[in-house]
Amino acid sequence: MEPGLLKSADWPALIDLYFFLGGIAGGAFVIATIANLIDSVRYRDIVRVGYYIAFLAVTPGPILLTVDLGLPTRFLHMLMVSKPSLAIGMDAVTVGPFHLKPFSPMNAGAWVLLGFSLVAFLAALDVFLEHRGGRSMRAFRVVVGVIGMFFGFFLAAYPGVLLGATARPLFISAHWLGALFLAVGASTGGAAIAFILSLQGGQRRDALSRLMRFTAFALIVELAALALFILAVSATGSAGITRALAHLIAGPFSLPFWLGAVVLGILAPLALQFGGVIRKAAPAMTALVCALILLGGFVVKYVIIAAGQAT
Amino acid sequence: MARTLAMFTDVSLCIGCRACQVACKQWNQLAPEEPEWTGTYQNHAHFTDKSYRLVRFFEETDDKGQIKQWHMMSDVCKHCAQAGCLEACPTGAIYRTEYGTVNINQDICNGCRYCVSACPFGVVSFNHDTGTATKCTFCNDRIHNGLGPACAKACPTQSIRFGFRDELAVVAQQRVAELQRLGYKDAQLYGEDTNGDLGGLNAFFLLLGKPGLYALPEKPKLPQRNVIVDSLLSIGSALVVGLGALVAFRGRAGQGGA
Repeated sequence: MEPGLLKSADWPALIDLYFFLGGIAGGAFVIATIANLIDSVRYRDIVRVGYYIAFLAVTPGPILLTVDLGLPTRFLHMLMVSKPSLAIGMDAVTVGPFHLKPFSPMNAGAWVLLGFSLVAFLAALDVFLEHRGGRSMRAFRVVVGVIGMFFGFFLAAYPGVLLGATARPLFISAHWLGALFLAVGASTGGAAIAFILSLQGGQRRDALSRLMRFTAFALIVELAALALFILAVSATGSAGITRALAHLIAGPFSLPFWLGAVVLGILAPLALQFGGVIRKAAPAMTALVCALILLGGFVVKYVIIAAGQAT
Repeated sequence: MARTLAMFTDVSLCIGCRACQVACKQWNQLAPEEPEWTGTYQNHAHFTDKSYRLVRFFEETDDKGQIKQWHMMSDVCKHCAQAGCLEACPTGAIYRTEYGTVNINQDICNGCRYCVSACPFGVVSFNHDTGTATKCTFCNDRIHNGLGPACAKACPTQSIRFGFRDELAVVAQQRVAELQRLGYKDAQLYGEDTNGDLGGLNAFFLLLGKPGLYALPEKPKLPQRNVIVDSLLSIGSALVVGLGALVAFRGRAGQGGA
């Protein structure tokens, strides 16, 4: 498809920030849940910090979206309207004032944001009460964790699927953006937990080391998804789409893309991880690596969205 | 559902007078805008929140770069049978009427602008004054009172015709055959075929050349068809990441490489 006369939504950086925080929240929740299912005692710190981060990162989401839309009631329209129309799209479900549109990732994402916020609150409350000496409700945490894990994966990935369901030349043939955003959510979620744990100090080195190993794995998945995204877009052969891709990888966005997202955000943390620097060095080095991963996670989303909106 | 209404625009009859553009502005009470220099007689470059109808001017050049022919096309929302804007809309503000047209309920639209980027033709515009998305409605108020859209009424050459889709399709096919007989070998219909990805356009065109000549996509795609493939790839990514976490966190304490 040639870009011709296409228009852009011109979403501001606020939306990029929401996508970034949503990815961290989803990734941190998934990591905390899996760690909790494997060994809730050994990974107690990862579980606690992971659930806190998930709740704190998702909370600004509705606020950022509302600021962009202008009025709180406008965000509610994502979920409900007083008099819904009948013919509103493929497989749309309307129950009373509520509507669910499975082929509108923005609508489905709003529902998941609501559901995830609820389970993230419950999980954070549970670990908070336990930390304060309360009784651990293991079965409750497992149920909330498993439900939230599915929501978390969705929350991290759906912005990529949302972009892929636009007519923008850089996105319409990309297909891998959801997979990429999910991997970014996993790497930044892991980095956010490890960042806090390394700053706290005195943690179990084994747990932190395993978390960093997973984060490095997520970075490799991220790198693979990024390469597949570029390959899928370049394989279309359309002049307009090729121009849009060139804007990202060889044009005005190439410096932040290659230096910020790829080198600083993925390759440098991987080199430090596999070079053994993290294992041997002080927690400050781990914190620095995590900061790089977080920076790269934001830049990769920001720069892809900016390039896609500009061309 | 009532019979589908449609608009047939025959560019071979367009004289570029822009009566349609003016009539649209007047009937829909759209505010004037600052003129925009586009290098041709076209004004504006794109559809805007105050220009639902736009006469496009294209200069076809030969191999030496000399102007060979002028092309004029009165462009409008295509009211696609499978509409990207309608499918994208998270609020249900964009809906299909009983006549098959696509409208935006201004009371429900929340200004998310997803529809703007989901339209394969760049039709939907964002109105910064109201904070909502806007576009042509085929003059919804007029067609519900038995009147045709203002643009079609104003067209002095019958380049724009409005009526039932099935009847207009027959007229369009006859016109293509006539033009080809007269030597316009590249004359072709755009959007009349209902087998395309968008299920056919309820505003379809007779073009005198390839769609690319009029900056129209050769094969417009419904962006939402990507949702299933993109979601499956995301699920694959989730499985890989989840397995990675299982492997990383399993094993006895002290085996974490510390």
